[in-house]
Amino acid sequence: MILVCGIPSETPLRMVTDRLKAMDAEFVIFNQRETANCDMWFAIDGGVLTGELRLGERVCQLEEFTGIYPRLMDDRALPELDDEPEGSPARRHCRGFHDTLMRWIELSPAMVINRCAPMASNSSKPYQGQLIRKLGFLTPETLMTNDPDLVRSFRAQHGRVIYKSASAVRSIVQELTDDDDERLDRIRWCPTQFQAFVEGTNVRVHTIGDEAFATAIRSEATDYRYAARQAGEAAQLREVTLAPELKERCLALSRSLGLEFAGIDLKITPEDEIYCFEVNPSPAFSYYEGNTEQEISAAVARRLMAGISVAAVA
Amino acid sequence: MGGAPGFTVTVEWTQAITDLYDWSTTMYLVLCSATDTSGLWTYEGLKHLGVAPLELVLAESLGQPATRWEHRLDRKGAHIKFAPPDGRVLCGSRIRGAINRLPGPPPAIALQAADSDREYAQAELQAFYLSWLNALPGVVLNRPAPSGLCGAWHHASEWAMLAGRAGLPVRPYRQSASDAPEQFYMPQAPEGVVACRFIAFAGAVFGGELYGVQLPEPVVQACGRLAQEAKAQVMGIDLYLDGDGPEGRWSYAGATPSPDLRIGGMPLLRRMAKELTEGGRA
Repeated sequence: MILVCGIPSETPLRMVTDRLKAMDAEFVIFNQRETANCDMWFAIDGGVLTGELRLGERVCQLEEFTGIYPRLMDDRALPELDDEPEGSPARRHCRGFHDTLMRWIELSPAMVINRCAPMASNSSKPYQGQLIRKLGFLTPETLMTNDPDLVRSFRAQHGRVIYKSASAVRSIVQELTDDDDERLDRIRWCPTQFQAFVEGTNVRVHTIGDEAFATAIRSEATDYRYAARQAGEAAQLREVTLAPELKERCLALSRSLGLEFAGIDLKITPEDEIYCFEVNPSPAFSYYEGNTEQEISAAVARRLMAGISVAAVA
Repeated sequence: MGGAPGFTVTVEWTQAITDLYDWSTTMYLVLCSATDTSGLWTYEGLKHLGVAPLELVLAESLGQPATRWEHRLDRKGAHIKFAPPDGRVLCGSRIRGAINRLPGPPPAIALQAADSDREYAQAELQAFYLSWLNALPGVVLNRPAPSGLCGAWHHASEWAMLAGRAGLPVRPYRQSASDAPEQFYMPQAPEGVVACRFIAFAGAVFGGELYGVQLPEPVVQACGRLAQEAKAQVMGIDLYLDGDGPEGRWSYAGATPSPDLRIGGMPLLRRMAKELTEGGRA
């Protein structure tokens, strides 16, 4: 049995559940927006994990689950809680349910895509960059500082420099320009991340199990996700095939971070150097699949189902 | 003017470094808060044992806007240099070991941000601290993890699973949607039973002298396995005696990656001093 968690209409989640249906997989969905009608508990006794999950009228034994796809939104921001005051019984139940669910998922022997602990390396991009380097990828020259003079010399040294968030909080990648100079004093309180701009072609590699899907992106924008806004033209995406050695290195990178499913952001320079910018542990793959028809959601579904046979043998 | 090998610095920063230090020497750090009596005790103790040069770096001083930070990632690796307001310049290329007891970035920094940016500022600072602490070379006790700057933090359910896997007896753990989250911070010992905290470090367990007990060897080994499973170089493990007399079993009650090191006394300090000064040479 596979457990899918999140908002069923969210595109990546819907794509995976459509694939599971097409593959006749047995699955249930925990719809976050119906948390009020759900309940669960788990126990650890003698190293054995047991428990129950109630979704409306349906009750599942936790041991039944061999694949889990959690794609949860922040439960505190669910629209159903909008009118609920802090600490209300509904809010407490919602928080308690999500905490119990997440704690169980971290411990479950099922195929989980992905667990929270390995996803956490993405909470600090420069930290993750240090892990990425160990796998032999180049990472952009990076400066984190609260000293405006260092930023100026970094820009003088590299010419084009971008700045972006260091944490997992999403930011739009921007190029540092002369106009920003006056604002540089504002970094005194909080060291900020600057990177040398790397020329080349963006390639997003989705790894899932032993499969890899590579997509090349053509765009003049600094951040191709916002190409229409930054360059006045949407990015163009096309499927590409990775050299076997690079594919293996991408798979090894995901494995080393403990991720079953990852979106790896690469840039291939005109000199054929391969830079890795980050590994996204919760990739919104639907954008790439929608543009290229690469069957990423099918691979996710297959991986979730693989957990079934592994567990059945065990 | 050049800086440390592989590390470009500005003239001003370089002058400050050379004014204060001989390039041929190395240094050790104790990173803690001014209110962390255990961290301050460790600093004094290591200094007494001759770990030198030993620099005390207080979280509060790192939180000052006058503290200058330079953290780089380049083809040679990750580098860190920072200059607290007291005039010192601390450079990663010369650090050989550190006691890391920073629980998080000083909250005072994020409080400077506008209300709408505070959460973002906190996330950015946490990301920065995780990265620069990870860039410290040599022996770092404890190395940072995404779940905790001074060592991996685990939820009570994970600790219970890890402790059982390591071979420590653990009471059954139960969690449900209707439980109050606070209860998962309570000791796992039965009500009314006081647990003893021990320190697991480098395959040994310290603190028995404090309670006048000597833990049986299988329990010591299980504690070592728990620390290994938790990827914590040094950690506190709470145990209680389940049953009286020779039948009593030392059982798991709790764990932390940032324990009060005073529990381990001088034997722990000596071992830490040895690890700091010799551990990085292997």
